[in-house]
Amino acid sequence: ARGGPKGGSKVIIEPHRHAGVFIARGKEDMLVTRNLTPGESVYGEKRIAVDVPAATPDGVPTKVEYRVWNPFRSKLAAGIMGGLDEVYITPGKKVLYLGAASGTSVSHVSDVVGPEGIVYAVEFSHRSGRDLITMAKKRPNIIPIIEDARHPQKYRMLVGMVDVVFADVAQPDQARIIALNSHMFLKDQGGVVISIKANCIDSTVDAETVFASEVQKLRKERVKPQEQLTLEPYERDHCIVVGKYQRSSK
Amino acid sequence: MSSGVQYLLFEEPTGYALFEVTLQPETIGSRLNEVQEAATDLAKFGKLVKLVSFAPFKGAAHALENANDVAEGTVNDHLKDLLELNLPKRSKKKKIVLGVSDIKLASGIKESLKGIECDTSEVVQDLLRGIRLHGTKLLKQLQEGDIERAQLGLGHAYSRSKVQFSVQKNDNHII
Repeated sequence: ARGGPKGGSKVIIEPHRHAGVFIARGKEDMLVTRNLTPGESVYGEKRIAVDVPAATPDGVPTKVEYRVWNPFRSKLAAGIMGGLDEVYITPGKKVLYLGAASGTSVSHVSDVVGPEGIVYAVEFSHRSGRDLITMAKKRPNIIPIIEDARHPQKYRMLVGMVDVVFADVAQPDQARIIALNSHMFLKDQGGVVISIKANCIDSTVDAETVFASEVQKLRKERVKPQEQLTLEPYERDHCIVVGKYQRSSK
Repeated sequence: MSSGVQYLLFEEPTGYALFEVTLQPETIGSRLNEVQEAATDLAKFGKLVKLVSFAPFKGAAHALENANDVAEGTVNDHLKDLLELNLPKRSKKKKIVLGVSDIKLASGIKESLKGIECDTSEVVQDLLRGIRLHGTKLLKQLQEGDIERAQLGLGHAYSRSKVQFSVQKNDNHII
Protein backbone atom coordinates (compact mmCIF):
# COMPACT_ATOMS: atom_id res chain seq x y z
CA ALA A 1 0.00 0.00 0.00
CA ARG A 2 3.00 2.26 0.28
CA GLY A 3 4.58 4.27 -2.53
CA GLY A 4 2.24 6.16 -4.72
CA PRO A 5 -1.26 7.38 -4.33
CA LYS A 6 -3.97 5.10 -3.07
CA GLY A 7 -7.69 5.31 -3.10
CA GLY A 8 -10.02 5.57 -0.19
CA SER A 9 -11.27 8.62 1.57
CA LYS A 10 -8.10 10.68 1.16
CA VAL A 11 -8.63 11.25 -2.55
CA ILE A 12 -11.37 13.47 -3.87
CA ILE A 13 -12.43 13.25 -7.51
CA GLU A 14 -13.52 16.42 -9.24
CA PRO A 15 -14.74 16.82 -12.78
CA HIS A 16 -12.29 18.56 -15.09
CA ARG A 17 -13.35 21.49 -17.26
CA HIS A 18 -13.37 19.01 -20.16
CA ALA A 19 -16.34 16.65 -19.82
CA GLY A 20 -15.33 13.04 -19.24
CA VAL A 21 -11.97 13.96 -17.71
CA PHE A 22 -11.46 14.15 -13.94
CA ILE A 23 -8.90 15.38 -11.45
CA ALA A 24 -7.97 13.30 -8.43
CA ARG A 25 -7.05 15.57 -5.55
CA GLY A 26 -4.89 13.82 -3.00
CA LYS A 27 -1.34 14.46 -1.88
CA GLU A 28 -0.78 15.65 -5.43
CA ASP A 29 -3.30 16.32 -8.15
CA MET A 30 -3.56 13.87 -11.00
CA LEU A 31 -5.45 13.68 -14.26
CA VAL A 32 -7.73 10.60 -14.33
CA THR A 33 -10.43 9.02 -16.47
CA ARG A 34 -13.31 6.88 -15.27
CA ASN A 35 -12.39 3.23 -15.91
CA LEU A 36 -14.72 1.61 -18.43
CA THR A 37 -13.51 -1.82 -17.28
CA PRO A 38 -13.24 -1.60 -13.48
CA GLY A 39 -10.69 -3.88 -11.91
CA GLU A 40 -8.30 -3.77 -14.85
CA SER A 41 -5.28 -1.71 -15.76
CA VAL A 42 -4.30 -1.51 -19.43
CA TYR A 43 -0.59 -0.76 -19.23
CA GLY A 44 0.18 -0.93 -15.54
CA GLU A 45 -1.23 2.50 -14.72
CA LYS A 46 -2.51 3.19 -11.19
CA ARG A 47 -6.17 2.92 -10.39
CA ILE A 48 -8.10 4.85 -7.76
CA ALA A 49 -11.39 3.61 -6.38
CA VAL A 50 -13.62 6.07 -4.56
CA ASP A 51 -16.80 5.49 -2.61
CA VAL A 52 -19.90 7.08 -3.96
CA PRO A 53 -22.58 7.60 -1.30
CA ALA A 54 -25.94 6.01 -1.98
CA ALA A 55 -28.27 8.12 -4.05
CA THR A 56 -31.28 7.24 -1.88
CA PRO A 57 -31.38 6.76 1.92
CA ASP A 58 -32.03 3.01 1.57
CA GLY A 59 -29.58 2.51 -1.30
CA VAL A 60 -26.10 1.01 -1.05
CA PRO A 61 -22.91 3.01 -1.49
CA THR A 62 -21.02 2.10 -4.64
CA LYS A 63 -17.42 2.26 -5.78
CA VAL A 64 -16.27 4.06 -8.90
CA GLU A 65 -12.84 3.41 -10.33
CA TYR A 66 -10.59 5.88 -12.12
CA ARG A 67 -7.32 5.37 -13.99
CA VAL A 68 -4.39 7.75 -13.73
CA TRP A 69 -3.59 9.44 -17.04
CA ASN A 70 0.08 10.34 -17.19
CA PRO A 71 0.86 13.47 -19.25
CA PHE A 72 4.42 12.25 -19.75
CA ARG A 73 3.06 9.21 -21.59
CA SER A 74 0.14 10.68 -23.46
CA LYS A 75 0.27 13.81 -25.61
CA LEU A 76 -3.44 14.37 -25.29
CA ALA A 77 -3.11 14.30 -21.49
CA ALA A 78 -0.19 16.72 -21.79
CA GLY A 79 -2.34 19.01 -23.90
CA ILE A 80 -5.15 18.92 -21.35
CA MET A 81 -2.71 19.61 -18.51
CA GLY A 82 -1.26 22.46 -20.57
CA GLY A 83 -4.68 24.04 -20.70
CA LEU A 84 -6.18 23.39 -24.15
CA ASP A 85 -9.46 25.29 -24.50
CA GLU A 86 -11.24 22.64 -26.52
CA VAL A 87 -10.43 18.99 -27.21
CA TYR A 88 -13.72 17.93 -28.86
CA ILE A 89 -13.35 14.48 -27.27
CA THR A 90 -16.25 14.23 -24.79
CA PRO A 91 -18.74 11.55 -23.66
CA GLY A 92 -20.77 10.04 -26.50
CA LYS A 93 -18.50 11.32 -29.27
CA LYS A 94 -17.14 9.31 -32.18
CA VAL A 95 -13.39 9.66 -32.58
CA LEU A 96 -11.11 8.61 -35.42
CA TYR A 97 -7.75 8.05 -33.74
CA LEU A 98 -4.81 7.91 -36.16
CA GLY A 99 -1.57 6.49 -34.81
CA ALA A 100 -3.13 4.39 -32.06
CA ALA A 101 0.12 2.47 -31.30
CA SER A 102 -0.41 -0.10 -28.52
CA GLY A 103 -3.48 1.73 -27.36
CA THR A 104 -2.41 3.22 -24.04
CA SER A 105 -3.77 6.70 -24.84
CA VAL A 106 -6.60 5.15 -26.85
CA SER A 107 -7.80 3.39 -23.68
CA HIS A 108 -8.18 6.76 -21.95
CA VAL A 109 -10.03 8.21 -24.93
CA SER A 110 -12.27 5.13 -24.70
CA ASP A 111 -12.90 6.00 -21.03
CA VAL A 112 -13.71 9.61 -21.92
CA VAL A 113 -16.21 8.90 -24.71
CA GLY A 114 -17.78 6.12 -22.63
CA PRO A 115 -20.14 3.33 -23.69
CA GLU A 116 -22.15 5.62 -25.97
CA GLY A 117 -19.09 6.80 -27.89
CA ILE A 118 -16.83 5.03 -30.38
CA VAL A 119 -13.08 5.14 -30.99
CA TYR A 120 -11.91 4.00 -34.42
CA ALA A 121 -8.27 3.24 -33.65
CA VAL A 122 -5.98 3.07 -36.69
CA GLU A 123 -2.45 1.70 -36.40
CA PHE A 124 -0.20 0.42 -39.16
CA SER A 125 2.51 -1.36 -37.20
CA HIS A 126 1.59 -5.01 -36.73
CA ARG A 127 3.66 -5.26 -33.64
CA SER A 128 1.80 -2.62 -31.65
CA GLY A 129 -1.34 -3.57 -33.54
CA ARG A 130 -1.47 -6.89 -31.76
CA ASP A 131 -1.48 -5.17 -28.36
CA LEU A 132 -4.14 -2.81 -29.63
CA ILE A 133 -6.41 -5.69 -30.69
CA THR A 134 -5.96 -7.44 -27.34
CA MET A 135 -6.84 -4.26 -25.46
CA ALA A 136 -9.84 -3.54 -27.72
CA LYS A 137 -11.29 -7.00 -26.98
CA LYS A 138 -12.14 -5.83 -23.48
CA ARG A 139 -13.47 -2.45 -24.57
CA PRO A 140 -16.35 -2.72 -27.01
CA ASN A 141 -16.29 1.00 -27.83
CA ILE A 142 -12.91 0.60 -29.59
CA ILE A 143 -12.82 -0.61 -33.18
CA PRO A 144 -9.24 -1.63 -33.99
CA ILE A 145 -8.08 -1.05 -37.57
CA ILE A 146 -4.68 -2.37 -38.55
CA GLU A 147 -4.11 -0.48 -41.77
CA ASP A 148 -2.12 2.39 -43.27
CA ALA A 149 -3.73 5.73 -42.41
CA ARG A 150 -2.41 7.03 -45.76
CA HIS A 151 -5.09 4.98 -47.47
CA PRO A 152 -8.40 5.65 -45.73
CA GLN A 153 -10.12 4.07 -48.75
CA LYS A 154 -8.91 0.70 -47.49
CA TYR A 155 -10.87 0.92 -44.25
CA ARG A 156 -13.90 2.87 -45.44
CA MET A 157 -16.17 -0.10 -44.68
CA LEU A 158 -15.14 -0.06 -41.04
CA VAL A 159 -15.56 3.61 -40.18
CA GLY A 160 -18.63 5.83 -39.87
CA MET A 161 -18.82 9.62 -39.79
CA VAL A 162 -16.95 10.94 -36.77
CA ASP A 163 -17.08 14.07 -34.60
CA VAL A 164 -13.31 14.32 -34.09
CA VAL A 165 -10.12 13.27 -35.83
CA PHE A 166 -7.19 12.89 -33.45
CA ALA A 167 -3.77 12.28 -35.00
CA ASP A 168 -0.46 11.32 -33.48
CA VAL A 169 1.19 9.73 -36.50
CA ALA A 170 4.61 11.44 -36.45
CA GLN A 171 5.06 11.24 -40.22
CA PRO A 172 6.51 13.92 -42.54
CA ASP A 173 3.30 13.86 -44.61
CA GLN A 174 0.97 13.89 -41.62
CA ALA A 175 -0.98 16.97 -42.75
CA ARG A 176 -1.93 15.06 -45.91
CA ILE A 177 -2.85 11.94 -43.92
CA ILE A 178 -5.14 13.98 -41.67
CA ALA A 179 -6.70 15.74 -44.66
CA LEU A 180 -7.46 12.49 -46.51
CA ASN A 181 -9.14 11.01 -43.45
CA SER A 182 -11.07 14.17 -42.62
CA HIS A 183 -12.43 14.49 -46.15
CA MET A 184 -13.78 10.95 -45.91
CA PHE A 185 -14.94 10.58 -42.34
CA LEU A 186 -15.14 13.90 -40.48
CA LYS A 187 -18.43 15.72 -40.11
CA ASP A 188 -18.67 19.30 -41.29
CA GLN A 189 -17.62 21.56 -38.38
CA GLY A 190 -16.02 18.57 -36.67
CA GLY A 191 -12.89 18.83 -34.51
CA VAL A 192 -9.30 18.15 -35.52
CA VAL A 193 -6.68 17.56 -32.82
CA ILE A 194 -3.13 16.94 -33.97
CA SER A 195 0.09 16.28 -32.16
CA ILE A 196 3.09 17.57 -34.08
CA LYS A 197 6.61 16.44 -33.37
CA ALA A 198 8.85 18.95 -35.12
CA ASN A 199 11.71 16.49 -35.64
CA CYS A 200 9.51 14.03 -37.50
CA ILE A 201 8.50 16.62 -40.08
CA ASP A 202 11.74 18.47 -40.70
CA SER A 203 14.77 18.33 -38.45
CA THR A 204 16.75 21.00 -40.33
CA VAL A 205 14.72 24.02 -39.23
CA ASP A 206 13.54 25.13 -35.80
CA ALA A 207 10.35 23.81 -34.27
CA GLU A 208 8.35 27.03 -34.57
CA THR A 209 8.94 27.14 -38.32
CA VAL A 210 7.75 23.55 -38.67
CA PHE A 211 4.60 24.22 -36.62
CA ALA A 212 3.78 27.31 -38.67
CA SER A 213 4.15 25.48 -41.97
CA GLU A 214 2.04 22.54 -40.75
CA VAL A 215 -0.73 24.92 -39.67
CA GLN A 216 -0.57 26.49 -43.12
CA LYS A 217 -0.96 23.07 -44.76
CA LEU A 218 -4.01 22.34 -42.63
CA ARG A 219 -5.61 25.65 -43.62
CA LYS A 220 -5.39 24.60 -47.26
CA GLU A 221 -7.25 21.40 -46.37
CA ARG A 222 -10.24 23.24 -44.93
CA VAL A 223 -9.13 22.96 -41.31
CA LYS A 224 -9.48 26.27 -39.50
CA PRO A 225 -6.81 26.37 -36.76
CA GLN A 226 -8.12 27.51 -33.41
CA GLU A 227 -5.35 26.82 -30.93
CA GLN A 228 -1.70 25.87 -30.79
CA LEU A 229 -0.02 24.73 -27.60
CA THR A 230 3.53 23.54 -26.96
CA LEU A 231 3.75 20.44 -24.79
CA GLU A 232 6.50 21.69 -22.47
CA PRO A 233 7.42 20.46 -19.91
CA TYR A 234 6.09 17.03 -20.89
CA GLU A 235 7.60 16.81 -24.38
CA ARG A 236 10.27 18.78 -26.16
CA ASP A 237 9.61 20.43 -29.55
CA HIS A 238 6.11 19.06 -29.65
CA CYS A 239 2.88 20.92 -30.04
CA ILE A 240 -0.81 20.22 -30.29
CA VAL A 241 -2.92 22.04 -32.83
CA VAL A 242 -6.68 22.10 -32.48
CA GLY A 243 -8.89 23.16 -35.35
CA LYS A 244 -12.30 22.93 -36.88
CA TYR A 245 -13.06 21.16 -40.15
CA GLN A 246 -14.99 23.32 -42.55
CA ARG A 247 -16.15 21.23 -45.44
CA SER A 248 -18.13 24.08 -46.86
CA SER A 249 -16.03 26.97 -48.06
CA LYS A 250 -17.71 30.29 -47.71
CA MET B 1 -19.49 16.74 -70.48
CA SER B 2 -20.93 13.87 -68.53
CA SER B 3 -24.58 13.94 -67.70
CA GLY B 4 -23.82 13.58 -64.02
CA VAL B 5 -23.83 10.66 -61.68
CA GLN B 6 -26.97 8.49 -61.68
CA TYR B 7 -26.11 5.77 -59.19
CA LEU B 8 -23.97 5.48 -56.08
CA LEU B 9 -22.21 2.49 -54.58
CA PHE B 10 -21.78 2.47 -50.83
CA GLU B 11 -19.93 -0.27 -48.96
CA GLU B 12 -21.41 -1.04 -45.54
CA PRO B 13 -19.93 -3.50 -43.04
CA THR B 14 -23.17 -5.47 -43.50
CA GLY B 15 -23.33 -5.43 -47.28
CA TYR B 16 -23.24 -3.39 -50.49
CA ALA B 17 -25.81 -0.68 -51.01
CA LEU B 18 -26.78 0.75 -54.37
CA PHE B 19 -28.46 4.16 -54.44
CA GLU B 20 -30.05 6.11 -57.23
CA VAL B 21 -29.41 9.85 -57.43
CA THR B 22 -32.87 11.31 -57.87
CA LEU B 23 -31.93 14.96 -57.98
CA GLN B 24 -28.77 16.05 -59.70
CA PRO B 25 -26.63 18.22 -57.45
CA GLU B 26 -24.92 21.03 -59.27
CA THR B 27 -21.26 20.35 -59.81
CA ILE B 28 -20.26 23.96 -59.54
CA GLY B 29 -22.15 24.52 -56.36
CA SER B 30 -20.90 21.40 -54.60
CA ARG B 31 -18.73 23.33 -52.23
CA LEU B 32 -21.29 25.98 -51.51
CA ASN B 33 -22.91 26.03 -48.13
CA GLU B 34 -26.42 25.18 -49.30
CA VAL B 35 -25.38 21.90 -50.88
CA GLN B 36 -23.19 20.98 -47.93
CA GLU B 37 -25.99 21.67 -45.53
CA ALA B 38 -28.41 19.60 -47.60
CA ALA B 39 -26.09 16.64 -47.03
CA THR B 40 -26.25 17.23 -43.28
CA ASP B 41 -30.04 17.51 -43.21
CA LEU B 42 -31.69 14.12 -43.62
CA ALA B 43 -34.98 15.59 -44.87
CA LYS B 44 -33.17 17.32 -47.71
CA PHE B 45 -30.67 14.56 -48.37
CA GLY B 46 -33.41 11.91 -48.44
CA LYS B 47 -34.76 13.62 -51.54
CA LEU B 48 -31.37 13.51 -53.23
CA VAL B 49 -30.78 9.76 -53.10
CA LYS B 50 -32.96 6.65 -53.04
CA LEU B 51 -31.96 3.11 -52.09
CA VAL B 52 -32.27 0.78 -55.07
CA SER B 53 -30.94 -2.43 -53.62
CA PHE B 54 -28.96 -3.81 -50.73
CA ALA B 55 -26.90 -6.99 -50.97
CA PRO B 56 -26.16 -8.22 -47.44
CA PHE B 57 -23.15 -10.39 -46.70
CA LYS B 58 -23.88 -14.03 -45.88
CA GLY B 59 -21.92 -14.09 -42.65
CA ALA B 60 -18.74 -12.98 -40.94
CA ALA B 61 -16.39 -14.85 -43.29
CA HIS B 62 -18.16 -13.50 -46.36
CA ALA B 63 -18.01 -9.96 -44.94
CA LEU B 64 -14.27 -10.29 -44.30
CA GLU B 65 -13.65 -11.60 -47.81
CA ASN B 66 -15.51 -8.60 -49.23
CA ALA B 67 -13.77 -6.16 -46.89
CA ASN B 68 -10.42 -7.42 -48.16
CA ASP B 69 -11.57 -7.05 -51.76
CA VAL B 70 -12.82 -3.53 -51.12
CA ALA B 71 -9.49 -2.65 -49.50
CA GLU B 72 -7.61 -3.97 -52.53
CA GLY B 73 -10.00 -2.43 -55.02
CA THR B 74 -11.07 -5.74 -56.59
CA VAL B 75 -14.61 -6.42 -57.68
CA ASN B 76 -16.05 -9.28 -55.64
CA ASP B 77 -18.60 -11.56 -57.37
CA HIS B 78 -21.16 -10.50 -54.78
CA LEU B 79 -20.74 -6.88 -55.86
CA LYS B 80 -20.76 -7.82 -59.54
CA ASP B 81 -24.07 -9.66 -59.08
CA LEU B 82 -25.64 -6.66 -57.37
CA LEU B 83 -24.59 -4.28 -60.13
CA GLU B 84 -25.57 -6.62 -62.97
CA LEU B 85 -28.96 -7.25 -61.46
CA ASN B 86 -29.90 -3.72 -60.57
CA LEU B 87 -28.31 -1.35 -63.04
CA PRO B 88 -30.34 -0.85 -66.21
CA LYS B 89 -29.01 -2.51 -69.34
CA ARG B 90 -26.70 -0.32 -71.30
CA SER B 91 -27.90 1.34 -74.43
CA LYS B 92 -25.92 3.11 -77.10
CA LYS B 93 -27.55 6.44 -76.44
CA LYS B 94 -27.29 6.62 -72.70
CA LYS B 95 -24.38 5.66 -70.54
CA ILE B 96 -24.78 4.64 -66.95
CA VAL B 97 -22.67 6.63 -64.51
CA LEU B 98 -21.97 5.02 -61.14
CA GLY B 99 -20.45 7.03 -58.32
CA VAL B 100 -17.72 5.08 -56.51
CA SER B 101 -15.57 6.07 -53.55
CA ASP B 102 -12.28 4.50 -54.63
CA ILE B 103 -10.57 5.07 -58.00
CA LYS B 104 -9.08 1.57 -57.97
CA LEU B 105 -12.44 -0.10 -57.47
CA ALA B 106 -13.90 2.22 -60.12
CA SER B 107 -11.48 0.98 -62.78
CA GLY B 108 -12.14 -2.60 -61.67
CA ILE B 109 -15.87 -2.11 -62.17
CA LYS B 110 -15.35 -0.54 -65.58
CA GLU B 111 -13.30 -3.55 -66.64
CA SER B 112 -15.59 -6.29 -65.41
CA LEU B 113 -18.90 -4.69 -66.29
CA LYS B 114 -19.05 -3.24 -69.77
CA GLY B 115 -21.04 -0.12 -70.40
CA ILE B 116 -20.70 1.38 -66.95
CA GLU B 117 -18.87 4.61 -66.41
CA CYS B 118 -17.53 5.40 -62.97
CA ASP B 119 -17.27 8.78 -61.31
CA THR B 120 -15.09 9.51 -58.29
CA SER B 121 -15.34 13.29 -58.33
CA GLU B 122 -15.88 15.55 -55.35
CA VAL B 123 -19.63 15.67 -55.95
CA VAL B 124 -19.67 11.89 -55.58
CA GLN B 125 -17.54 12.07 -52.43
CA ASP B 126 -19.93 14.63 -50.95
CA LEU B 127 -22.92 12.41 -51.70
CA LEU B 128 -21.12 9.42 -50.15
CA ARG B 129 -20.38 11.54 -47.08
CA GLY B 130 -24.10 12.16 -46.81
CA ILE B 131 -24.85 8.42 -47.00
CA ARG B 132 -22.17 7.68 -44.42
CA LEU B 133 -23.66 10.31 -42.12
CA HIS B 134 -27.25 9.13 -42.32
CA GLY B 135 -26.39 5.44 -42.58
CA THR B 136 -29.09 3.39 -40.90
CA LYS B 137 -31.85 5.87 -41.70
CA LEU B 138 -31.33 5.36 -45.42
CA LEU B 139 -31.15 1.57 -45.12
CA LYS B 140 -34.56 0.89 -43.74
CA GLN B 141 -34.08 -2.75 -42.82
CA LEU B 142 -31.26 -1.87 -40.41
CA GLN B 143 -31.80 -0.82 -36.81
CA GLU B 144 -30.01 1.91 -34.89
CA GLY B 145 -26.64 0.58 -33.76
CA ASP B 146 -26.54 -2.28 -36.29
CA ILE B 147 -23.83 -0.63 -38.38
CA GLU B 148 -21.64 0.08 -35.34
CA ARG B 149 -21.95 -3.52 -34.17
CA ALA B 150 -21.04 -4.75 -37.63
CA GLN B 151 -18.09 -2.36 -37.78
CA LEU B 152 -16.86 -3.70 -34.46
CA GLY B 153 -17.04 -7.34 -35.55
CA LEU B 154 -15.55 -6.70 -38.97
CA GLY B 155 -12.89 -4.37 -37.57
CA HIS B 156 -11.64 -7.08 -35.25
CA ALA B 157 -11.77 -9.75 -37.96
CA TYR B 158 -10.02 -7.56 -40.53
CA SER B 159 -7.30 -6.43 -38.13
CA ARG B 160 -6.74 -9.92 -36.75
CA SER B 161 -6.27 -11.32 -40.24
CA LYS B 162 -3.78 -8.55 -41.07
CA VAL B 163 -1.68 -9.35 -38.03
CA GLN B 164 -2.00 -13.12 -38.39
CA PHE B 165 -0.93 -13.42 -41.98
CA SER B 166 1.81 -10.88 -41.82
CA VAL B 167 5.46 -11.35 -42.58
CA GLN B 168 6.18 -9.13 -39.61
CA LYS B 169 4.59 -11.77 -37.44
CA ASN B 170 7.78 -13.05 -35.93
CA ASP B 171 9.28 -10.22 -34.00
CA ASN B 172 12.84 -10.86 -33.04
CA HIS B 173 12.83 -12.17 -29.55
CA ILE B 174 16.03 -11.87 -27.65
CA ILE B 175 16.60 -14.99 -25.63
